[in-house]
Amino acid sequence: MTSFSRAVSAPVIYTVLAAGALITLAPFAIGLMTSFTTADQFNTGEPLSFPAPPTLQNYTGLADAGFGRALVVTALMTAVILVGQLTFSVLAAYAFARLEFPGRDALFWVYLATLMVPATVTVVPLYLLMAQAGLRNTFWALVLPFVFGSPYAIFLLREYFRGIPADLIKAARIDGANTLDVIVHVVVPASKPILVTLSLITVVSQWNSFMWPLVITSGGRWQVLTVATAGLQSRYNAQWTLVMAATTVAIVPLIVLFVAFGRYIVRSIVVTGLK
Amino acid sequence: MGYALLAPSLFGVVTFLLLPMLVVGWLSVHRWDLLGPVEYVGLDNWRSVLTDPSFATSLLVTALFIVIVVPTQSLLGLAAAAMLARSLPGSGFFRTLYVLPWICSPLAIAVLWRWILAPTDGAVSRLLGERIEWLTDPDLALPVVSAVTIWTNVGYVTLFFLAGILAIPTDIQDAARTDGANAWQRFRRITLPMLRPTLFFVLVTGVISAAQVFDTVYALTAGGPQGRTDLIAHRIYAEAFGAAAVGRAAVMAAVLFVLLVGVTIAQHSYFRRRITYDVV
Repeated sequence: MTSFSRAVSAPVIYTVLAAGALITLAPFAIGLMTSFTTADQFNTGEPLSFPAPPTLQNYTGLADAGFGRALVVTALMTAVILVGQLTFSVLAAYAFARLEFPGRDALFWVYLATLMVPATVTVVPLYLLMAQAGLRNTFWALVLPFVFGSPYAIFLLREYFRGIPADLIKAARIDGANTLDVIVHVVVPASKPILVTLSLITVVSQWNSFMWPLVITSGGRWQVLTVATAGLQSRYNAQWTLVMAATTVAIVPLIVLFVAFGRYIVRSIVVTGLK
Repeated sequence: MGYALLAPSLFGVVTFLLLPMLVVGWLSVHRWDLLGPVEYVGLDNWRSVLTDPSFATSLLVTALFIVIVVPTQSLLGLAAAAMLARSLPGSGFFRTLYVLPWICSPLAIAVLWRWILAPTDGAVSRLLGERIEWLTDPDLALPVVSAVTIWTNVGYVTLFFLAGILAIPTDIQDAARTDGANAWQRFRRITLPMLRPTLFFVLVTGVISAAQVFDTVYALTAGGPQGRTDLIAHRIYAEAFGAAAVGRAAVMAAVLFVLLVGVTIAQHSYFRRRITYDVV
């Protein structure tokens, strides 16, 4: 392929790449701009003109619509799921990678098989289970299905743990470390890259999750940002400056994460392949 | 010790992944309206869903959506990867930038596009000074929803093709060039065959994720106009949580599951059979 594109000149490539960048960025840019525009200017001024003067009124409007709470709930949900997933996935992956016990391989195949279960299919039955457990519209309902680890994370961690030199673990054992010590002091420090990868992927997917929070919560109490944004959009369809402020709040934390960890995120996507 | 370490995740896998699969089957022969008691109805749900024209429409629309989205995003991703693979200065910047839409919330992205495409005060209509019903014209809605999905996914697909291309040993290309193969021949005879695993991955994951698109439809069109963008995931949602016909939704979820597993197996065997010749 390198040679295929060598048939095309560099200026042509740059032109196409720049066009792609423009198409990628323009929607974000005009959305951001609109979020700082007064409703008045938006309705009567030139289309897509710069905010003159820039205003924060849309963002204060969001605060009145309960976005502060939604932001906190989303952050809390993401944090709890992140900690749970990492902890329990590491424990399970270590058992699969380094311990011998009857039924280990059969269990591992069961975990692998669950990778085929699509989230869209489980939403309806999960709703029934949560309803039966009396957990509808609770924080528990938001986090429980995801907090006990993910088979995919376990699969990736297991591969990684198998690559850790056995001598490292043996040395710690000789020094009297038990299994938990080994995990905390040897395995985890040796697995930082894959743990960073899994953390980024988990944060991105949980921050963005929509369908499950939409069905399992109602009202403002446990509303997450995506659900709040969707609700705002359907309630204030014509107030686009306010709605653009909402999408900005939903997107900006991820853009910040992206600017800070862009390279890691790109690598993480290639490593995990999954959202 | 092994079991103790596994206990939490095993609880999660059994309760939130395996049990729901059983519950889908169980629910499909019951009637439930989200609030009242659950009532056994035999195969009524199956009969009513499988003869329901709106379910057939939804399957058809989903198939069309997949046929538009997956090949287009793969071709665009391949083209972008081909250009980035030359590693011109700044390639890394573009590669990272293109992934931006993919990591953002699909719901927020869809709301953003809903404004851009709004007929009266949307960005496009105001710039063109013309009212276009992007999302309510029955002929435009599905292509537009597809386009937004493609816009979101291209950068992601590009990453995989780029990784695949960069993994091809350069000496094979050099040898072919020495033998007088032109750029197109080298692409067709070397790059494409060697990208087969990448292509397989991109197509399978593309189909599986396109078959489950929900947020985009929910915020852009809510399945309309006239069910023209009523993708299967949205139909399941609307059936269960809009119409409160949970048993029917379970039937649809079961059908989707069987189709997705079928797609995975079919694509696997096709790719095994199709291109297994050696490269050199």
